[in-house]
Amino acid sequence: MSDIVTIKGLKYGLQLTFAKGATFEAVQANLLNKLETGNSFFIRGTTVFVPKGYFAEEQNEALRRMFHRHGMLFSTELKRPNLAPPSQDTTTKAPSQKFRESVEEAQKMMVINHTVRGGQEIKANCSVLICGNVNPGAQIIAGGSIDIRGTCRGFVHAGAFGDKTACVVADRLMPVQIRIADIIARSPDEPEKVSQAERAMIKDNRIIFEPVAR
Amino acid sequence: MSQIIVITSGKGGVGKTTTTANIGVGLAMRGHKVALIDTDTGLRNLDLLLGLENRILYDLIDVTSGRVQYKKALVRHKKYENLYLLPTSQVKDKSAVNPEQLVKLCDEMKKEFDFIIIDCPAGIEQGFKTAIAAADTAIVVTMPEISAVRDADKIIGELGRADKDNVKLIVNRIRPQMVEKGDMLDMGDIDEILSVVCIGQVPDDESVVVATNRGEPAITMSDSTAGQAYKNIVARICGENVPFLKPQKEGFFARLKKLFGLL
Repeated sequence: MSDIVTIKGLKYGLQLTFAKGATFEAVQANLLNKLETGNSFFIRGTTVFVPKGYFAEEQNEALRRMFHRHGMLFSTELKRPNLAPPSQDTTTKAPSQKFRESVEEAQKMMVINHTVRGGQEIKANCSVLICGNVNPGAQIIAGGSIDIRGTCRGFVHAGAFGDKTACVVADRLMPVQIRIADIIARSPDEPEKVSQAERAMIKDNRIIFEPVAR
Repeated sequence: MSQIIVITSGKGGVGKTTTTANIGVGLAMRGHKVALIDTDTGLRNLDLLLGLENRILYDLIDVTSGRVQYKKALVRHKKYENLYLLPTSQVKDKSAVNPEQLVKLCDEMKKEFDFIIIDCPAGIEQGFKTAIAAADTAIVVTMPEISAVRDADKIIGELGRADKDNVKLIVNRIRPQMVEKGDMLDMGDIDEILSVVCIGQVPDDESVVVATNRGEPAITMSDSTAGQAYKNIVARICGENVPFLKPQKEGFFARLKKLFGLL
């Protein structure tokens, strides 16, 4: 293999090692190409480790931004970060442990610091906080709850693994379709103006909206 | 410092090419040296709007494939000496140019021109990716209609993914009467969804169609409201602070005249 970047799977993510003498530009171009050709290693939410001190601080920053754009985390410390993505070997674990892990995941949070536009998709095992709007045509699928600090006009699915206690909160909650666990509701055919923050949750096997103060 | 601007929209028929032609002529009228590049290979129109079809000798594909120097392919506008068009091929398709070739070409042209304006094809496939590759500013054209706004939103997302963060908006073909009656999205609705800086609101104006067919962009017509709106856009591109046009209300007498068919 003459590839200048070697990817090694770890328990908590992917470790990158580089061929001797590879320049930063070459590595960056190589990674960008891998990201854009949809290399199956790079699943959204995965953490990518680069040995500390290998690149200069601003070069690390450039890589961090590049991976963030593709929905991945970047780290120079070889330890489980707070926003840890799913470990890839859950299938080999006992079901009870798997369940416990999924609950643990649901208690964590992914933060998206921009507006999610039409055609974009955010998927997370944990809860999701969005500082921005969710525009029509966008999809948010979360294992936990979803909190939108802005207007929600897209498609949202909270508690995607069946957690019926999950909820969706938004400053203005007017999704095209909303799902919590396995319950589906759609927007009314006559759109109504929403002026207050609302929370959607399950009550008596139906999704209800209630105003919240925040 | 030269600027490379791409005019894009996602949806077809919202007025990308018209906007490109008008902005190009507007900038040239102000004395800037401007090159317009048509990247809508196979469906080229920009030359028609400028009335330059009969002067084309070489095209973009000839240049990117290295057959001729770009200077040979440039067509100078008959009236505005600072305005040049680099037309594309009508027989090839979008795969004939790739992003790297266009970036290289624009780098070269940057030395000669103050503004390079790239007319992007509709869609989000290869043609779009090629067109945006070289640009440092993107102008997204949309219409007050949900499908156009939805597509503009998608395009802004795509531009963000390609690291093009300098995005401006032009809302084209606004009909003030319909907005007033609530039958058309108003600027507030559009702003709320797209939330990017708006640099132009162009009214729907018959003179644009006349201008297109004549091969003289509307901005050259002194009595056209759309032309005035384009002039303001050009001023804003040049960094001036111009207030938006007040929507023209149809006066009582105008309506009365229309009623009796006197107009």
